[in-house]
Amino acid sequence: MEREGYIGDPTIATALYLSREMRRPLLIEGDAGVGKTEIAKVLARLLDTELIRLQCYEGLDVATSLYEWNYQRQMLRLRLAEGEGKSAGEIEDLIFGRDYLLERPLLRAITRPTQAPVLLIDEIDRADDGFEAFLLELLSDFQVTIPEIGTIRARHVPYVVLTSNRTREIGDALRRRCLYLYLDHPSLEKEVRILNLRVPQAGARLSAEVGRFVQALRSRRLQKTPGVAETLDWAQALVRLDRDHLDREAVEETLGCLLKDQNDLRDLSGAALEDTLAVATLATGAAG
Amino acid sequence: MNAAAPAAGPDWAGHLARFGRALRERGVRVALSDEADGLEALTWIDLGDRDEVRRALSVAFKIRPHDRAVFDELFEKLWMPQAGPPRISRALGTVSRPRSGGVRREAEAVEVDAAAPSGEEVGYSPDAVLRKKPFDECAPEELRAMENLIARLALRLATRKSRRLVPTRGRGLVDLRRSFRRALAHGGEFLLLARRARPLEQPRLLVLCDTSGSMDPHVRFLLQFVVALGRVAPKAEIFAFNTSLVRITPLLGRKALSPGLIERTLARLAAEVPDWSGGTRIGECLREFVDRHLATRVDHRTVVLILSDGLDRGDVEPVAEAMRALADRAKSILWLNPLAGDARYEPAARAMAAALPYVSRLLPAHNLESLERLVPLLTL
Repeated sequence: MEREGYIGDPTIATALYLSREMRRPLLIEGDAGVGKTEIAKVLARLLDTELIRLQCYEGLDVATSLYEWNYQRQMLRLRLAEGEGKSAGEIEDLIFGRDYLLERPLLRAITRPTQAPVLLIDEIDRADDGFEAFLLELLSDFQVTIPEIGTIRARHVPYVVLTSNRTREIGDALRRRCLYLYLDHPSLEKEVRILNLRVPQAGARLSAEVGRFVQALRSRRLQKTPGVAETLDWAQALVRLDRDHLDREAVEETLGCLLKDQNDLRDLSGAALEDTLAVATLATGAAG
Repeated sequence: MNAAAPAAGPDWAGHLARFGRALRERGVRVALSDEADGLEALTWIDLGDRDEVRRALSVAFKIRPHDRAVFDELFEKLWMPQAGPPRISRALGTVSRPRSGGVRREAEAVEVDAAAPSGEEVGYSPDAVLRKKPFDECAPEELRAMENLIARLALRLATRKSRRLVPTRGRGLVDLRRSFRRALAHGGEFLLLARRARPLEQPRLLVLCDTSGSMDPHVRFLLQFVVALGRVAPKAEIFAFNTSLVRITPLLGRKALSPGLIERTLARLAAEVPDWSGGTRIGECLREFVDRHLATRVDHRTVVLILSDGLDRGDVEPVAEAMRALADRAKSILWLNPLAGDARYEPAARAMAAALPYVSRLLPAHNLESLERLVPLLTL
């Protein structure tokens, strides 16, 4: 995994391994920014296969997730066919053929001809319960029935990864259908390793200080706890500003990369900022 | 890599079943199908590696973060206390998936007796009078009439439009898929356009009801109202709090509102929860809610209803903190305060004052008229 730019841990590895061997969807829950989506991307690279992503949102329905007919084409063909004097039955067969079907992510995921893709169903908690039920059915049989065409079976059963930010509880039935992984924010050691891998320009001292600063931040009660993505953004911003260590000025200039809530930014000024900074630079600051 | 049937080793199925039962006894929801998943997972991993077994079982049992500590503790205690069994070769056999029998799923919901005499005694006193009369001044017969009124009131609760589109006969967006199908029946002419529109959606409600001693005269009615709301808004979640927080949704449930239900629920709560009807610790209770339930029970569509007089002996700092977290996530927060019906009332109680900046509306809740005014606000 590391080769693919992802620092995992044994739990993630075990979960991915079991999901692959048991051919079961993997449901990953965790706060925003802990790297849930990244896992699916890494899995696709590891398996050297295509990643098909379905971003969920409120109101997502079958037409945008599964399939839709290409009406414009159908209508044109209809007009042409009329001129040719075809019967109604012939016309119907013609325009409800596969050529006029627009494949949306879910249908695409089960019709790949060569190898099983990774299907990422992102932020399933945003879709409504009805869609969840539909998904459950799809994930059990990996087949889709289109009234006009018939049943389409998966040629290769895709590797399915679902993610959830836990903005609502996922239904029990869907949960039971999946294997489950909860992702927490990384430990200091892991976060620094991620920083070294992804922002190598940052150097050892800056990476360590950034890591400790973020870890100290997460232990505070914040409205929006920064995730790894924010840590990386922040480190990148600091590198751009040619910083090789943290000091008050550098932090104040760039804190917006890390804290994205007005209240949090206000809370972390003055003494609170000094304290956090002191924790972050404790080991290296004195020496440097 | 292939798998060995675990039957070759010790009695894995039995062991898993015992482990699952122990987890259930501690409140972790592990179903029979999860145990089957666990058993299958064990066939794929190195059984000699205790840490890997633990990881695999947490994945297969779908252990959520708040159950993690219990899982780890029980795993430590129960899972092959001695060193793991000798490593089983993974190179032979096929995956077998024996079912571990004998474990029954405990009934999850608490059953509340629903059969009760129905007291349909509506209307010897005019509704208009009832509506203005404070709850604590009502005679028993009036109270019963009021129960019915409340139930009807809740049903009037308006609903809002969903964002999904469903087929409709009236106005709406043109649904090309269905229009096209219909056109075929008429030789390709679009005689009738099929349409889709947004359906009505039930409101999402979260109710936090203060049941401390000072709320006694009001609790009965407020809970009644809440239960009635729950019937038109099946997604409503109801919590009661005084010195601790209890989720009472399963107690009030989806049952039809029968006159005795509230009494029985209150009696049950009083029996089960220590210090019921005693003091209040709003701050601690709100914080507990935020820590344990906020993420999964409140989203940007949820209207939070807090029913409390705001009289509190505890610290106010946690109140403000928890309210801020709630306000950040919920659509709106409505605070119903029975004391606010008094014209002289000022939100001076310390907890109330601390919460006020985060409350969208502070409303009186001492009589029916005040509850009636609340109804349209629930869908804002």
